[in-house]
Amino acid sequence: MSKMPASCREIEPHLLASAMGEAAPDAVERVRTHVDGCRECREELARYRTVDGMVDSLRRSPRPDDDATLARAQLTSRLADLRSRMVTFGIFPSPLGPLLIGRSEMGVALVQYLPASGSLTGRVRRLLGDEAVEDVAATEGLRAELIEYIEGRRARLAWPLDPRRMRSDFQRRVLAATAALPYGAVTSYSGIAARIGAPSAVRSVAQALRWNPLPIVIPCHRVIGSTGDLVGYAGKRVELKQRLLAVEGVNARPAGHHDFKVHREAMYTLMNGEVEYCLPTCGSLAERSLSELTLFGTRERAEAAGFGPCSSCRPDLHPLPA
Amino acid sequence: METRLFSQAGGSGVSMGRVMAEDAFEAVVGAHHAEIRRYLLRVTARASDADDLSQETFLRAFRAYRALPPGANVRAWLFTIATNLGRNHFRAQSRRRRAYAAVALEAPAGAPDRTDGRVLADEARVRVEQVIGGLPEKQRLAFIMRKMHELDYAEIGTSLRCSEESARAHVFQALRKIRKGLDRELSAETGARP
Repeated sequence: MSKMPASCREIEPHLLASAMGEAAPDAVERVRTHVDGCRECREELARYRTVDGMVDSLRRSPRPDDDATLARAQLTSRLADLRSRMVTFGIFPSPLGPLLIGRSEMGVALVQYLPASGSLTGRVRRLLGDEAVEDVAATEGLRAELIEYIEGRRARLAWPLDPRRMRSDFQRRVLAATAALPYGAVTSYSGIAARIGAPSAVRSVAQALRWNPLPIVIPCHRVIGSTGDLVGYAGKRVELKQRLLAVEGVNARPAGHHDFKVHREAMYTLMNGEVEYCLPTCGSLAERSLSELTLFGTRERAEAAGFGPCSSCRPDLHPLPA
Repeated sequence: METRLFSQAGGSGVSMGRVMAEDAFEAVVGAHHAEIRRYLLRVTARASDADDLSQETFLRAFRAYRALPPGANVRAWLFTIATNLGRNHFRAQSRRRRAYAAVALEAPAGAPDRTDGRVLADEARVRVEQVIGGLPEKQRLAFIMRKMHELDYAEIGTSLRCSEESARAHVFQALRKIRKGLDRELSAETGARP
């Protein structure tokens, strides 16, 4: 090889390319001209062509263990598992500050208020785990609907939900009862406790709502203290609760430091289990515990929820002052 | 059960984007898994490794799939992932390669049933596989991608994190070594002096 003439050394790469069928036409021509006058290279070209043919027949011959069936079946099952654990999320600004929406293949798994500043990476990992993938496009439809909702242009978020981040069966029952509260209505923590058949579990209900993984979507902002105070929301951000309620037509007025209060005398009132809503002064309603009642800020909301005006106090004829 | 408590009518619209992405990935698996496994079988020479690494390739691909720009060359991308996994696999288990060489030398005994008429062809095939199996890693991977899976040199360069020219050089160098390794068979076949 080392004694190969310069012309042969120079033609060698083209000879290989030629044998593999990937040489340019002018190179093919040069190789042809060269091998016409060089027996060594002519034989070498023939050997390379033979090698290429052997390799080609190796490519075409089936391998004995070339059966992907089992691997494919295992892959399908592992992908299904990965999908079920995987959450895609988007982070976006909103009138209530930065929000995160996370969704799994089951549905929306998480809505979180985020701090207005600071690093989010660690927080997102803690909230969503290692399989979380940021995908703004996948959450864009949800984002748009949530913004509409926060701005009062939408009364319903008809989203499939992923309940796996709920901590217990008790919490799921609390959240389901909360999700059933109509738009524009409020009740108390004890009202939720009564609805799930655990009237003494008021503190547990409050804890369950405190860890609501889906605020806004599951409207825990509609659950207030038995005195009408809003009590708490998203840590200490009770002003968010006041804003969400205001959007729904429930006015909570400032009451002391960092709190707001819903005044029962300014609310249309429904005795739970009844089909007609009343003025707050109707009958003995004023003496009833809030746990037995659902309050509406406006008649429209009460009627949109399927309730008619009381035939004795006639809230339709004597509306509350706006 | 609990899901039903929360699910409301007409909520399926928002799921569409995701569902379509998943269908698209199903199609990717359907179109490429068998070939990627075949590639890894050629690279590792072990069905169990090809099974594991081909699954791992697609699990990684699934995680990254949504970030892939539209119109990306999915097949070449999968070859890149598979190649990286294959190389990590060898790095982690360098003893494997020595085991491979030992197995390859005994390969005819391990080969499946065959008729007498195919003996010669099979022996040549085994010999070619042996020679390819003994190539340095990059040359071997480049050669397998080029000649067994017909990737172009740019795609091979991406997979091996080298230039298109280096990829071509790896393939050519592999071919030279294979040609030398088959000297005996070639002189028998062509009747020419080695």
